[in-house]
Amino acid sequence: MNFTIFGLRNLLRNYRRSLITVLSIAIGFAAISLFAGYAQTTYRGLSEQAVYGELLGHLTITKHGLINEGRLHPEQYLMTYNEIEQIAKVVRKNVSDAYVAPRLGINGLLSNGHVSTIFLAEGIAPSDMEVLRGPRRNASGGLSADTQSGVTVARGLAEMLGLKEGSDASLLVSTLHGQANAIDVTITDTFSTGNAGMEDKFMFVPLALVQSLFDAQGRADRITVLLPDVTQTEAVRMQLVTQLKAAGFDLEINTWEELSVFYRQVKSMFDMIFGFLLAIVVSIIVMSITNAMTMSVIERTREIGTLRAIGVHRSSVVRLFATEALLMVMLGCLAGLTLTLLVRFGINAADITYQPPNSTDKVPLLIGFDFTKAIASAVLLSLLSITAAILPAQRAASRPIIDALGHV
Amino acid sequence: MLSHQNASNNWDDAANLSSNPPALLELLDVKRQFTLGQVTVQALRGISVQIVRGESVAVWGPSGSGKSTLMNLLGLIDVPDAGQIRFDGENVNQYTDDRLADFRNRKIGFIFQSFNLIPVLNALENVMLPLQVQGVPDGQARERAMEWLDQVGLEKFATFRPDRLSGGQRQRTAIARALVIDPMLIIADEPTANLDSENSHSVIELIRSMNQLTGVTCVFSTHDPRLLDQVPRHLLLKDGQILEDRRVEAVQ
Repeated sequence: MNFTIFGLRNLLRNYRRSLITVLSIAIGFAAISLFAGYAQTTYRGLSEQAVYGELLGHLTITKHGLINEGRLHPEQYLMTYNEIEQIAKVVRKNVSDAYVAPRLGINGLLSNGHVSTIFLAEGIAPSDMEVLRGPRRNASGGLSADTQSGVTVARGLAEMLGLKEGSDASLLVSTLHGQANAIDVTITDTFSTGNAGMEDKFMFVPLALVQSLFDAQGRADRITVLLPDVTQTEAVRMQLVTQLKAAGFDLEINTWEELSVFYRQVKSMFDMIFGFLLAIVVSIIVMSITNAMTMSVIERTREIGTLRAIGVHRSSVVRLFATEALLMVMLGCLAGLTLTLLVRFGINAADITYQPPNSTDKVPLLIGFDFTKAIASAVLLSLLSITAAILPAQRAASRPIIDALGHV
Repeated sequence: MLSHQNASNNWDDAANLSSNPPALLELLDVKRQFTLGQVTVQALRGISVQIVRGESVAVWGPSGSGKSTLMNLLGLIDVPDAGQIRFDGENVNQYTDDRLADFRNRKIGFIFQSFNLIPVLNALENVMLPLQVQGVPDGQARERAMEWLDQVGLEKFATFRPDRLSGGQRQRTAIARALVIDPMLIIADEPTANLDSENSHSVIELIRSMNQLTGVTCVFSTHDPRLLDQVPRHLLLKDGQILEDRRVEAVQ
């Protein structure tokens, strides 16, 4: 007995009901896939923003306690030139293609000569910055190796002080030893941080300038590591923790995901919405299949009696209905996949933009395709649908044959 | 064993091939009761009967006499509350559900009053079905099913689904489905009840000729006097008991 052909014909027998069920599966599957695709694109955008936009790289190496105590005792948490060299050597020994960039963060006052405002700055060598910016290396905001006192400032900060490209400004900071120090800089470019909270205070300054200003020549508070492949991140972190400890360093290594609070918050929220959506859609689909299969089993009780009388085992009757449910899910998912691809193509081609929360710029609405989640949803739907079909089929197959044959 | 009193018609011939034909079916003090709401109905009150190989038996009686219950027990699609059923010498009472299903699939053919064909399968596929359940390869099953459709005169309707067949054609298909497994027993539950007189006659003739051809044992339940006239042994049931077990001279 060919269950697939038998099952397909039974689906066509009441094609309206089957069509509605298949459509409900298709729409549900498309809703899940489209949201998963949107979330995937968002995650990708946010991760790119964190790794290349915020220059977090893939791993950040710091001395233990920098994040909590760094401001109180900066000297204690700075790495010396020799330490930086040794750490870089250990990193490159593990991943020869890894890029290692020392960084030093400072804060203070930025003045245009008339008014001042606070700033947060990242000290980074212009050549390192170019590499860490990866695919964004040509975007605005990059430091120039040609101008030693050239800095780039966030647009909000520039607007606040009326600074433009070519304007002169002064940085006033407290040095490592608590003394005031100031330096004149030239604005070489402005950029958007993409983050509303940082837009009015962030800037990039050449590392050498920051070290001089902070009175910390050759020193850095962290080392950023850019790996050839993001998927290596966790494995490399584990290796480095062990090897740096063996080399006598008491260091903390954080991944870009751990450091990007915004990424984690958005991902956590989207994951929760996805779970909520999945639960609703799956419930509707399972109810729809349960209804269709229960109706089908009731209508075919007499047929089940006939099959049982001519020698079909109970398990085969159940298998027949399970096959029908599986076929409906497969057809539904296939139709849903087609719908997903069509809608995705339409949305991506429509060039829609929107401004996400906490963002300074509009971003394009792009839908990706999350293959893993689509497959996982299809498998989940298949399993639940088979269960939904098995229960009524099992009840009917367990019924005495004479009752089933006498069913009207 | 209830012996034959008349051997003058064709339906008796098969049963008389040997002087002491072995019993195919034996019911020993079989009882069956049903509970309908708060009422318990004694459908069969201790029936003992033997049916020998090749024999044709008509079970008849008024409504509620227990005909259908007896047919269900003979066809092994129901189990007794008490008593024993032996089929081909085997005590089938203790069989598991799957073993009983296999047993029915290989040894018993059913002809139902309402034909009970599978609507999504065409005539040929309906006839092939019991063979496919047995695991017979498709090619072989198709060939054997086609032979039987030919025997019942439906070779030209092989690709027709039941809804495109007349009542008579449907019952012929059901007969082919019952016989395709080369069964030891045919259980026919009022096979002519839903047919007009012409088709009834045709179906009766068909079953009769198949009985002669294959020597298969046939048990009918019927109200149809035309069918009763054709069957040499009548079991008259009343109130769940065999009132009369009679040999008659069947009409040729």
